[in-house]
Amino acid sequence: MSSPEPIVAKGLGRQFGGNVVIEPLDVSVGCGQRVGIVGADGAGKTTLLQMLAGILDPTVGECQVLGVDTRQGAKQIAARIGYMSQGFTLYDRLSVKENLSFAARIRDVPDELYRERSERLLSMSGLGRFTDRPAAKLSGGMRKKLSLCTNLVHEPELLILDEPGLGVDPLSRRHLWAMLDRFRAQGLTMVVATSYMDEAELCDRILLLEQGRVLADGSLEELLRPAAGRVFTVNAGNIGRGLRELSGILAHIQSVHSVQWLPDHLRLVMNADIAENQLAELLPEGAHLAAAEPRLEGLFVLRTEKMTGEQQFPKLTRQDRGKEEGLVATGLSVRFGHFKAVDRVSFEAPSGELLALLGPNGAGKTTLIRALCGLVAIDEGSARVAGVSSGGGSTALRRQIGYMSQRFSLYLELTPWENLRFFANAYGLAGGAARAAIDWAREVTGLTDIPDKLTGDLSSALRQRLALACSLLHRPRVLFLDEPTSGVDPVARYRFWRVIRELAASGMTVLVTTHYLEEAAYCDRLALMLDGRLLAHGSRSSLNHSLGLEADATVETLFTAAIEQAGTANSRALGP
Amino acid sequence: MKAHRLGALIVKESRELIRDPVTVALAVIMPLIMLFLFGYAVNLDVEQVAVGIYDLDNTPASRELTARFDSSRYFQLEQKTTDLHDLESALQSSTISMGVVIPAGFARQLLRGDEAPVQVVVDGGYPVLGRLASAYAEAVITNFPAPRQSAVRVQARVWFNPSLRSVNFVIPGLFAVILMAFPPLLTALAIVREKETGTIEQIYASPVTSTEFVVGKLVPYGLVAFLEILMVMVVGFAWFHVPIAGSPILLLTSAFVYVLTTVGIGLLVSSLVRTQLAAMLITLIVTLMPSFLFSGFLFPLFTMPLTLQLYSWLFPAGYFMEISRGIVLKSAGLEAVLPNLMMLIVYTVMVFVFAAWRMKQKVA
Repeated sequence: MSSPEPIVAKGLGRQFGGNVVIEPLDVSVGCGQRVGIVGADGAGKTTLLQMLAGILDPTVGECQVLGVDTRQGAKQIAARIGYMSQGFTLYDRLSVKENLSFAARIRDVPDELYRERSERLLSMSGLGRFTDRPAAKLSGGMRKKLSLCTNLVHEPELLILDEPGLGVDPLSRRHLWAMLDRFRAQGLTMVVATSYMDEAELCDRILLLEQGRVLADGSLEELLRPAAGRVFTVNAGNIGRGLRELSGILAHIQSVHSVQWLPDHLRLVMNADIAENQLAELLPEGAHLAAAEPRLEGLFVLRTEKMTGEQQFPKLTRQDRGKEEGLVATGLSVRFGHFKAVDRVSFEAPSGELLALLGPNGAGKTTLIRALCGLVAIDEGSARVAGVSSGGGSTALRRQIGYMSQRFSLYLELTPWENLRFFANAYGLAGGAARAAIDWAREVTGLTDIPDKLTGDLSSALRQRLALACSLLHRPRVLFLDEPTSGVDPVARYRFWRVIRELAASGMTVLVTTHYLEEAAYCDRLALMLDGRLLAHGSRSSLNHSLGLEADATVETLFTAAIEQAGTANSRALGP
Repeated sequence: MKAHRLGALIVKESRELIRDPVTVALAVIMPLIMLFLFGYAVNLDVEQVAVGIYDLDNTPASRELTARFDSSRYFQLEQKTTDLHDLESALQSSTISMGVVIPAGFARQLLRGDEAPVQVVVDGGYPVLGRLASAYAEAVITNFPAPRQSAVRVQARVWFNPSLRSVNFVIPGLFAVILMAFPPLLTALAIVREKETGTIEQIYASPVTSTEFVVGKLVPYGLVAFLEILMVMVVGFAWFHVPIAGSPILLLTSAFVYVLTTVGIGLLVSSLVRTQLAAMLITLIVTLMPSFLFSGFLFPLFTMPLTLQLYSWLFPAGYFMEISRGIVLKSAGLEAVLPNLMMLIVYTVMVFVFAAWRMKQKVA
């Protein structure tokens, strides 16, 4: 008996040990639908997708995929669906072509069909010129595109994607979605887990998942309807201490459900409908209030957490750092063999500046950070961090810097507390000094109650906060954050940026890389990198001006324009 | 099982293997290193025992006895004094392993036809050496000054290894140890690596069955293991001048079966664990350690307590050890090796069935 709906799940639930990861739920997905699964880290998105793909058996309930039961007919289902897992799905030592032909042959694609399809897929993904390159040497964006190709080569009826945009630069992400759009036009049903709100907004239907339960299920409009008339933006105007003072006032207003601190304004979500002028009366003079369209991100905040408490974000007193420099790089180059990973980069970031470093995968961002930290030898030029030279990686340098890497370098087999203690000791803090440093770092990062679990068992949002706390223990003057928000849900990301901004306000220089371009708007200045070179560097408005864009153009527009202007957008930026 | 899927798996696996220089080096160099190391180091022959002679008689007869020891290839004269005090310190400092005391009046008693006692003090710290050295000494002394006549004469013939070279015994045994050490290690890492990188999820979510997956791993790694056999055997026989008494074809065939067993053990381990580190440690513990201790490589199994003998049956190295030594030393034919060969075949089938069954098709 075949069902017209590709996915029909009844009472589908899953436990691991005694832990309920997915509460029994009913879901059905119609033919040709694109369903986005949105949820915080640890909400159960991956578990749900694995059950739908038939590679994880449900503990209770049942699931019919393409009319076949996932428990009995997993292999039958496998032949007809594509499942792209979150991690690496390619064989590093095989070339692009070999990976693709392997995927095709194990999925029973006849040779003639494979030849025709692979050509089309490779040209569509822009991988056609790299067919002989080993997968290990592709950029993150290209790897994802190739993974997608390997899951499309057998022309599946259903495509399941687990966070396809994770760790992928904005341009590649756009390409990836363009490919998905083409297949959607052909009627391919898709289920996509994502933590990018813009990706979720591209779906026909959104499933909001929290702690294994479906909180909301419907189209974007349906989901946003309850929030209509309850969302406002407030501009600080000429109020003395700006947004900070304003948010302090808002925290005391009962009817305010959440305050989201955006780069140049606050976004309010109210508990109940309220007239604009009614709300305006509650605000101090000079604040500009405007009604706003609800957005999925705001809704997510609304649904998952009541958050008005400004007390979660301690005010840091500005440390008097004197006139010392923050970050200075002069003609900095790093070579790996013949390959110039960083090519004559010069910039300056004064003390207390929040600088975003943007660029596609493989642009040299991580290498630049590592060079500044003294982790990679500088081949040409020089760099000074808080007045200390970066060359040689001296102890004096290490005392000035905090570094949080993409993978949150924590010991997963230790508890959070043990991690904090270890890093405190590693920075030469002991006894009372260590305790004081840990207390301070926990307060700053909002890590008030530490669960008594191993770090490896924590959600990545908690791990992210812990990693930040560890990198702050010695109160560095310059903080390097390499994709600190990758794979973390919107609420946690938003909180993270609040903390970072407080830190910068206290006089700490912060250099951040991120693939979430909207986040870059939180920063004072932006630096755009491509192929190891610094394309542009300045505030968002000045960069917009120099590129001939409108003053309030989004960072994404800016980013795309800058790369296209560099003239290499098509030939190299998309390449590895 | 579908041929094109299996073909794709084998091709993919071979490409990955060939493009990994570390694995290739590990597969080629490590067995050779082990062969040379053990071929030279494991020497069971007791020769050139350091001996000290305390000649308190100092007559032509006592000097003649001393010369007999000196000229024997089993002994090496390390110390020769007339002072008995040196004996103890020399034994303690391991300068000598055996001391021979020729008392005063030795020549006179010999001449009179009386019993002439000679004292032999042996360092029993290493029992095998002590036992052999005292036996050699007794042989030298009883045949002095001339071979004794006895009513019964022993005519000992050494079969199979007439020169009693221990290398002839060690090398065929080493084949069993080496082929147990490396092929499973490579294979165990092969599956777990896919678990660690996450590529295995793609396999789960494809029509590939667990049998296809396991066989797809087995074929390329089995081939590498077979090349290891050839290499180790050629070098072993040629370099160490070990003669093969039996059929080389039978030896190769049995070795091939044995390698399937060992590769299968590697597959089994990697189907059970999640990390490469765990796979490596467990493989070493279940393969290398028992293949030294419980295979009869160095220590004969029949001297072990019964429980340990039963335990030793769990490890296939012992079966191949007997086959290999049987063919190389005793020219054993098919019917002689068949029982052990059958055990290996049964073992292999069991390991594969278990591995394929354990090789889950699901994430958890």
